[in-house]
Amino acid sequence: MDKIILGRYLPGDSLVYRLDPRGKFLLTFYFVGIVFLANNVASYAFLLAFVIFAVFLSKINFGFFLKGLKPVFWLILFTVALQLLFTPSANPLWHWGIFTFSKEGLVIAGYIFIRFILIIFISTLLTLTTTPIEISDSIESILKPLKKIKFPVTQVALMLSIALRFVPLLVDETTKIMDAQRARGVDFGEGGLIKRIKSFVPILIPLFVSSFSIAYDLAIAMESRGYKDGEGRSKYRVLSWDRRDNIMVIFMAAVTGILLFLRSY
Amino acid sequence: MEKIISIKDLNYTYPEAKRSAIKNLSLDIYKNEWLSIVGKNGSGKSTLTKLIDGLIEADSGTIEVAGQIINEENIWEARTKIGIIFQNPDHQFVGATVEDDVAFGLENQGMPREEMVKAVDEALILVKMADFKERDPQSLSGGQKQRVAIAGVLATKPQIVIMDESTSMLDPDGRKTVLNLVQQLRSQQDLTIISITHDIEETELSQRIVVLNDGQIVSDGKPEEIYDLGADLQKFGLEEPFTSELVSTLRDTIKLPDGYLNEEELKEQLWKLHSNM
Repeated sequence: MDKIILGRYLPGDSLVYRLDPRGKFLLTFYFVGIVFLANNVASYAFLLAFVIFAVFLSKINFGFFLKGLKPVFWLILFTVALQLLFTPSANPLWHWGIFTFSKEGLVIAGYIFIRFILIIFISTLLTLTTTPIEISDSIESILKPLKKIKFPVTQVALMLSIALRFVPLLVDETTKIMDAQRARGVDFGEGGLIKRIKSFVPILIPLFVSSFSIAYDLAIAMESRGYKDGEGRSKYRVLSWDRRDNIMVIFMAAVTGILLFLRSY
Repeated sequence: MEKIISIKDLNYTYPEAKRSAIKNLSLDIYKNEWLSIVGKNGSGKSTLTKLIDGLIEADSGTIEVAGQIINEENIWEARTKIGIIFQNPDHQFVGATVEDDVAFGLENQGMPREEMVKAVDEALILVKMADFKERDPQSLSGGQKQRVAIAGVLATKPQIVIMDESTSMLDPDGRKTVLNLVQQLRSQQDLTIISITHDIEETELSQRIVVLNDGQIVSDGKPEEIYDLGADLQKFGLEEPFTSELVSTLRDTIKLPDGYLNEEELKEQLWKLHSNM
């Protein structure tokens, strides 16, 4: 479980860390959107330069981002290979049966590869520099307008923050259960597919049961501390939008402008 | 002495259970008292706390908290007067950081943010956890987690603190720190403490012990009186305190005064015998 870097927070301190999480959250989505506007070498090179600049600003070791690629490595390879071999072309360099290898295919495969890298790097940057609780606060704040259509924003936000708070606890619980079952002779990751799936039953059932009992205990504890229904609560944690967040938005607008220019260039 | 909780003829049976968990129980608890409720597993101790806090509803009987009989309308007001520290520290954290968790009860009361920041700091200083303000609760030791839970309870300024086997999952050190802390806070803030446990040794700090068995009170008295029950304690699934056991073994060979002796008294008696020799 330690290998997955995507979705993990890395404590640190730099400009990127101090930005308002709401802005970071929205702009990350925005960036993923504008990646699809790029259509030529210049625009892709520009976006790549921007992402590397952002990574540099975060002061996080570049190795972490490369590690973030690992879990999706096969997906990237598969997609790139498909593009390489199945892009139709008028004058292919190489042709065999249903496979075509062409200059166009090579270019498209290259674009897709960079697109993957851009999206993964920028989302890794968001999660590495933003604590889970900041992300859930941002989601609450962003969803606030939905209150008008009676969407239970505060409840959903509490649900999110409790879910996040229980991730490490449940990971601990899972390891404990696995060790306990190993001590009783259950072999994980051995044998055929069916046998492997079967060996998960002695983990999943106790895990569900203990999750329910934790949920019950927590509900009782919350009620005893005066939690009613999320209405009339004040908030301890507040987010503050600073001047540097404005600068970030302006900077991002400039990036979009340059991208649009390079695109039609 | 002023009564803070008064329970009259309380009955409760869990849905689908054959035996009642609480049978005709009446009990008065006084202000600033440290009351221990002991009993073996399944004697109804935890059920009693949940009834007092209105987390479950009694079949019959009344519970009066600070002069008011609790019912569905005023239960939230009663809950602000009662703080509960539960058994498993891992299962009572709501916040993702220590300060968030301490603030949770205050957020529920709708306290303005500036006051909250002050109240959270004060509560964390009281339990000596101010340095851990921004830490993830998961990274703390069991004793530290319970201290944070105490801070969460104290921040809301309750009059009554119920400890529902709060020290049963701690190591001896953590247990001692938590109990001493609660004792200190009781005298500083005029709190009433109700401590639920099945470990008789843990009742040392209390002024009164109530023994529950099968949902009924079988003994109610000062610690010395209860410890003196000796073999009767074992009937209710409780261990004798260490000194009682030692005294009863020693009585076979040397002469010791009757009645319960605590550690200090026993030490004194033994020194006396030593100097007589």
